Amino acid sequence: MAIQISFLIMGILAVFLSGMMITRKWPVTAAMLLIIIMMLLAGMYGVLGAHFSAVAQIIVYAGAIMVVFVFVIMLLNLPPEELRYGRITINEIILIGIGFLGALFLGTKVGLGYLVSGLNSTTLINARPPYYPAEMNENVKNVSTLMFTDYLWAFEIVSFLILAAIVGSIVIAKKAKVNNAKSS
Amino acid sequence: MPSLPELGIYFSLLLFIVGLFGVMFRKNIIFMMLSVEIMLNAANLAFISASALTNTIDGQVVMFFVMAVAACEAGIGLALIISLYRAKSSIEIDDLRMLRG
Repeated sequence: MAIQISFLIMGILAVFLSGMMITRKWPVTAAMLLIIIMMLLAGMYGVLGAHFSAVAQIIVYAGAIMVVFVFVIMLLNLPPEELRYGRITINEIILIGIGFLGALFLGTKVGLGYLVSGLNSTTLINARPPYYPAEMNENVKNVSTLMFTDYLWAFEIVSFLILAAIVGSIVIAKKAKVNNAKSS
Repeated sequence: MPSLPELGIYFSLLLFIVGLFGVMFRKNIIFMMLSVEIMLNAANLAFISASALTNTIDGQVVMFFVMAVAACEAGIGLALIISLYRAKSSIEIDDLRMLRG
Protein backbone atom coordinates (compact mmCIF):
# COMPACT_ATOMS: atom_id res chain seq x y z
CA MET A 1 0.00 0.00 0.00
CA ALA A 2 2.86 2.36 0.74
CA ILE A 3 4.28 1.64 -2.70
CA GLN A 4 0.97 2.53 -4.33
CA ILE A 5 0.69 5.76 -2.35
CA SER A 6 4.24 6.76 -3.28
CA PHE A 7 3.49 5.97 -6.93
CA LEU A 8 0.38 8.15 -6.80
CA ILE A 9 2.29 11.00 -5.16
CA MET A 10 5.08 10.83 -7.75
CA GLY A 11 2.62 10.79 -10.65
CA ILE A 12 0.47 13.65 -9.36
CA LEU A 13 3.58 15.69 -8.59
CA ALA A 14 4.97 15.05 -12.09
CA VAL A 15 1.75 16.20 -13.76
CA PHE A 16 1.52 19.26 -11.50
CA LEU A 17 5.15 20.27 -12.09
CA SER A 18 4.78 19.82 -15.85
CA GLY A 19 1.77 22.12 -15.72
CA MET A 20 3.91 24.62 -13.84
CA MET A 21 6.74 24.16 -16.35
CA ILE A 22 4.79 25.22 -19.41
CA THR A 23 3.65 28.43 -17.71
CA ARG A 24 7.02 29.75 -16.50
CA LYS A 25 8.66 32.87 -17.85
CA TRP A 26 12.34 31.96 -17.61
CA PRO A 27 13.69 29.00 -19.59
CA VAL A 28 16.21 27.95 -16.92
CA THR A 29 13.42 27.56 -14.35
CA ALA A 30 11.53 25.37 -16.79
CA ALA A 31 14.63 23.25 -17.44
CA MET A 32 15.17 22.70 -13.69
CA LEU A 33 11.51 21.74 -13.27
CA LEU A 34 11.90 19.28 -16.15
CA ILE A 35 14.87 17.68 -14.40
CA ILE A 36 12.70 17.16 -11.30
CA ILE A 37 9.94 15.67 -13.49
CA MET A 38 12.44 13.22 -15.00
CA MET A 39 13.63 12.18 -11.53
CA LEU A 40 10.02 11.52 -10.51
CA LEU A 41 9.46 9.47 -13.68
CA ALA A 42 12.59 7.47 -12.90
CA GLY A 43 11.08 6.69 -9.50
CA MET A 44 7.89 5.52 -11.21
CA TYR A 45 9.91 3.25 -13.51
CA GLY A 46 11.63 1.79 -10.47
CA VAL A 47 8.31 1.08 -8.78
CA LEU A 48 7.06 -0.61 -11.96
CA GLY A 49 10.03 -2.98 -11.91
CA ALA A 50 12.12 -1.44 -14.70
CA HIS A 51 15.26 -0.74 -12.70
CA PHE A 52 17.64 -0.45 -15.64
CA SER A 53 15.29 1.99 -17.36
CA ALA A 54 15.13 4.09 -14.19
CA VAL A 55 18.91 4.39 -14.00
CA ALA A 56 19.18 5.16 -17.72
CA GLN A 57 16.47 7.80 -17.36
CA ILE A 58 18.49 9.61 -14.70
CA ILE A 59 21.84 9.28 -16.48
CA VAL A 60 20.79 9.95 -20.08
CA TYR A 61 17.80 12.26 -19.73
CA ALA A 62 18.42 14.24 -16.58
CA GLY A 63 22.18 14.02 -16.95
CA ALA A 64 22.98 14.43 -20.64
CA ILE A 65 20.04 15.86 -22.56
CA MET A 66 19.09 18.45 -19.96
CA VAL A 67 22.71 19.59 -19.64
CA VAL A 68 22.67 20.26 -23.40
CA PHE A 69 19.42 22.21 -22.99
CA VAL A 70 20.76 24.36 -20.17
CA PHE A 71 23.98 24.86 -22.13
CA VAL A 72 22.10 26.18 -25.17
CA ILE A 73 19.85 28.38 -23.02
CA MET A 74 22.90 29.99 -21.43
CA LEU A 75 24.73 30.17 -24.78
CA LEU A 76 21.90 32.18 -26.32
CA ASN A 77 21.94 34.52 -23.29
CA LEU A 78 18.52 35.92 -24.05
CA PRO A 79 17.78 39.48 -22.95
CA PRO A 80 14.64 39.86 -20.81
CA GLU A 81 12.78 41.75 -23.53
CA GLU A 82 13.16 38.68 -25.71
CA LEU A 83 10.84 36.90 -23.26
CA ARG A 84 8.37 39.76 -23.28
CA TYR A 85 5.43 37.85 -24.64
CA GLY A 86 4.39 34.30 -25.18
CA ARG A 87 3.23 33.72 -21.62
CA ILE A 88 0.01 31.79 -21.40
CA THR A 89 -2.86 34.18 -20.71
CA ILE A 90 -5.85 33.53 -18.46
CA ASN A 91 -8.16 32.86 -21.43
CA GLU A 92 -5.79 30.25 -22.71
CA ILE A 93 -5.59 28.67 -19.26
CA ILE A 94 -9.40 28.31 -19.26
CA LEU A 95 -9.22 26.86 -22.77
CA ILE A 96 -6.47 24.47 -21.71
CA GLY A 97 -8.57 23.34 -18.74
CA ILE A 98 -11.59 22.60 -20.91
CA GLY A 99 -9.48 20.75 -23.45
CA PHE A 100 -7.69 18.88 -20.67
CA LEU A 101 -10.93 17.61 -19.20
CA GLY A 102 -12.32 16.69 -22.62
CA ALA A 103 -9.19 14.84 -23.66
CA LEU A 104 -9.06 13.11 -20.28
CA PHE A 105 -12.68 11.99 -20.60
CA LEU A 106 -12.27 10.76 -24.16
CA GLY A 107 -8.94 9.13 -23.45
CA THR A 108 -10.02 7.24 -20.35
CA LYS A 109 -13.49 6.29 -21.58
CA VAL A 110 -12.72 5.45 -25.18
CA GLY A 111 -9.05 4.87 -25.83
CA LEU A 112 -7.39 3.57 -22.71
CA GLY A 113 -10.20 1.19 -21.85
CA TYR A 114 -9.59 -0.73 -25.05
CA LEU A 115 -5.84 -0.46 -24.56
CA VAL A 116 -5.84 -1.81 -21.01
CA SER A 117 -8.35 -4.56 -21.75
CA GLY A 118 -6.41 -5.51 -24.86
CA LEU A 119 -3.14 -5.62 -22.98
CA ASN A 120 -4.68 -7.72 -20.24
CA SER A 121 -5.64 -10.44 -22.70
CA THR A 122 -3.77 -13.67 -22.44
CA THR A 123 -2.41 -13.77 -25.99
CA LEU A 124 0.15 -11.07 -25.29
CA ILE A 125 1.19 -12.48 -21.96
CA ASN A 126 2.31 -15.77 -23.46
CA ALA A 127 4.17 -14.12 -26.32
CA ARG A 128 7.53 -13.95 -24.52
CA PRO A 129 9.10 -15.49 -21.46
CA PRO A 130 7.97 -13.44 -18.48
CA TYR A 131 10.20 -11.34 -16.33
CA TYR A 132 9.94 -11.12 -12.61
CA PRO A 133 10.06 -7.68 -11.02
CA ALA A 134 10.87 -9.12 -7.62
CA GLU A 135 14.24 -10.39 -8.80
CA MET A 136 16.18 -7.19 -9.10
CA ASN A 137 19.32 -8.74 -10.54
CA GLU A 138 17.59 -10.19 -13.55
CA ASN A 139 16.28 -7.00 -15.13
CA VAL A 140 19.49 -5.87 -16.83
CA LYS A 141 20.14 -9.35 -18.15
CA ASN A 142 16.63 -9.73 -19.56
CA VAL A 143 16.60 -6.32 -21.22
CA SER A 144 20.03 -6.71 -22.78
CA THR A 145 19.31 -10.24 -23.96
CA LEU A 146 16.17 -9.13 -25.73
CA MET A 147 17.84 -6.02 -27.14
CA PHE A 148 20.69 -7.95 -28.72
CA THR A 149 18.61 -10.83 -30.08
CA ASP A 150 15.17 -9.81 -31.31
CA TYR A 151 15.82 -6.09 -31.56
CA LEU A 152 19.30 -6.25 -33.06
CA TRP A 153 18.34 -4.64 -36.35
CA ALA A 154 16.54 -1.80 -34.60
CA PHE A 155 19.64 -1.30 -32.45
CA GLU A 156 21.89 -1.00 -35.52
CA ILE A 157 19.47 1.36 -37.26
CA VAL A 158 19.38 3.57 -34.15
CA SER A 159 23.18 3.75 -34.23
CA PHE A 160 23.04 5.01 -37.82
CA LEU A 161 20.35 7.49 -36.77
CA ILE A 162 22.62 8.89 -34.07
CA LEU A 163 25.48 9.19 -36.58
CA ALA A 164 23.21 11.09 -38.97
CA ALA A 165 22.07 13.36 -36.13
CA ILE A 166 25.69 14.20 -35.22
CA VAL A 167 26.59 15.11 -38.81
CA GLY A 168 23.33 16.99 -39.31
CA SER A 169 23.66 19.10 -36.18
CA ILE A 170 27.20 20.11 -37.17
CA VAL A 171 26.04 21.08 -40.66
CA ILE A 172 23.05 23.04 -39.35
CA ALA A 173 24.81 24.95 -36.59
CA LYS A 174 27.95 26.01 -38.43
CA LYS A 175 28.22 29.50 -39.82
CA ALA A 176 27.02 29.79 -43.41
CA LYS A 177 29.61 32.18 -44.82
CA VAL A 178 28.72 31.61 -48.48
CA ASN A 179 25.07 32.56 -48.05
CA ASN A 180 25.89 35.68 -46.07
CA ALA A 181 28.34 36.88 -48.72
CA LYS A 182 25.75 36.25 -51.43
CA SER A 183 22.92 38.05 -49.66
CA SER A 184 24.99 41.08 -48.66
CA MET B 1 -8.28 1.35 -7.16
CA PRO B 2 -6.64 0.32 -10.43
CA SER B 3 -3.35 -1.50 -10.42
CA LEU B 4 -0.02 0.29 -10.68
CA PRO B 5 0.59 -0.23 -14.44
CA GLU B 6 -2.89 1.06 -15.27
CA LEU B 7 -2.24 4.11 -13.11
CA GLY B 8 1.02 4.60 -15.00
CA ILE B 9 -0.85 4.60 -18.32
CA TYR B 10 -3.31 7.19 -16.99
CA PHE B 11 -0.45 9.40 -15.76
CA SER B 12 1.22 9.09 -19.15
CA LEU B 13 -1.99 10.34 -20.76
CA LEU B 14 -2.04 13.37 -18.44
CA LEU B 15 1.62 14.18 -19.07
CA PHE B 16 1.14 13.87 -22.83
CA ILE B 17 -1.81 16.28 -22.73
CA VAL B 18 0.19 18.84 -20.73
CA GLY B 19 3.11 18.60 -23.14
CA LEU B 20 0.79 18.93 -26.13
CA PHE B 21 -0.72 22.11 -24.72
CA GLY B 22 2.76 23.44 -24.07
CA VAL B 23 3.66 22.92 -27.72
CA MET B 24 0.41 24.44 -28.88
CA PHE B 25 0.26 27.57 -26.74
CA ARG B 26 3.81 28.74 -26.10
CA LYS B 27 5.49 31.10 -28.56
CA ASN B 28 9.02 30.41 -27.33
CA ILE B 29 10.93 27.74 -29.23
CA ILE B 30 12.86 26.59 -26.14
CA PHE B 31 9.62 26.00 -24.25
CA MET B 32 8.21 24.14 -27.23
CA MET B 33 11.20 21.80 -27.25
CA LEU B 34 10.96 21.24 -23.50
CA SER B 35 7.29 20.35 -23.97
CA VAL B 36 8.25 17.88 -26.69
CA GLU B 37 10.59 16.29 -24.14
CA ILE B 38 7.63 15.95 -21.74
CA MET B 39 5.63 14.24 -24.48
CA LEU B 40 8.46 11.79 -25.19
CA ASN B 41 8.73 11.03 -21.47
CA ALA B 42 5.00 10.34 -21.38
CA ALA B 43 5.46 7.87 -24.21
CA ASN B 44 8.27 6.21 -22.28
CA LEU B 45 6.06 5.93 -19.20
CA ALA B 46 3.35 4.31 -21.33
CA PHE B 47 5.87 1.80 -22.67
CA ILE B 48 7.12 0.89 -19.20
CA SER B 49 3.56 0.60 -17.87
CA ALA B 50 2.54 -1.65 -20.76
CA SER B 51 5.64 -3.72 -20.12
CA ALA B 52 4.66 -4.21 -16.49
CA LEU B 53 1.02 -4.79 -17.43
CA THR B 54 1.74 -7.61 -19.86
CA ASN B 55 4.61 -9.04 -17.81
CA THR B 56 6.98 -8.78 -20.78
CA ILE B 57 10.11 -6.69 -21.28
CA ASP B 58 9.62 -5.50 -24.86
CA GLY B 59 8.44 -2.11 -23.66
CA GLN B 60 11.65 -1.52 -21.74
CA VAL B 61 13.73 -2.24 -24.84
CA VAL B 62 11.64 0.10 -26.98
CA MET B 63 12.01 2.75 -24.24
CA PHE B 64 15.75 2.83 -24.91
CA PHE B 65 15.15 3.38 -28.61
CA VAL B 66 12.76 6.23 -27.82
CA MET B 67 15.45 7.70 -25.56
CA ALA B 68 18.01 7.57 -28.41
CA VAL B 69 15.56 9.24 -30.79
CA ALA B 70 14.89 11.91 -28.16
CA ALA B 71 18.62 12.61 -27.85
CA CYS B 72 18.90 12.99 -31.64
CA GLU B 73 15.86 15.27 -31.67
CA ALA B 74 17.30 17.46 -28.90
CA GLY B 75 20.63 17.80 -30.71
CA ILE B 76 19.10 18.69 -34.08
CA GLY B 77 16.51 21.00 -32.54
CA LEU B 78 19.03 22.92 -30.45
CA ALA B 79 21.28 23.32 -33.51
CA LEU B 80 18.26 24.73 -35.35
CA ILE B 81 17.58 27.13 -32.46
CA ILE B 82 21.17 28.40 -32.54
CA SER B 83 21.05 28.81 -36.32
CA LEU B 84 17.71 30.63 -36.22
CA TYR B 85 18.81 32.92 -33.40
CA ARG B 86 21.96 33.76 -35.34
CA ALA B 87 19.91 34.60 -38.43
CA LYS B 88 16.94 36.43 -36.89
CA SER B 89 18.11 37.47 -33.37
CA SER B 90 14.86 36.12 -31.96
CA ILE B 91 13.45 32.82 -30.76
CA GLU B 92 9.76 33.72 -30.92
CA ILE B 93 7.94 31.78 -33.60
CA ASP B 94 5.93 34.83 -34.61
CA ASP B 95 9.16 36.44 -35.78
CA LEU B 96 10.08 33.37 -37.78
CA ARG B 97 7.09 33.18 -40.08
CA MET B 98 9.15 34.02 -43.17
CA LEU B 99 11.02 30.86 -43.95
CA ARG B 100 13.36 32.35 -46.54
CA GLY B 101 16.84 33.01 -45.26
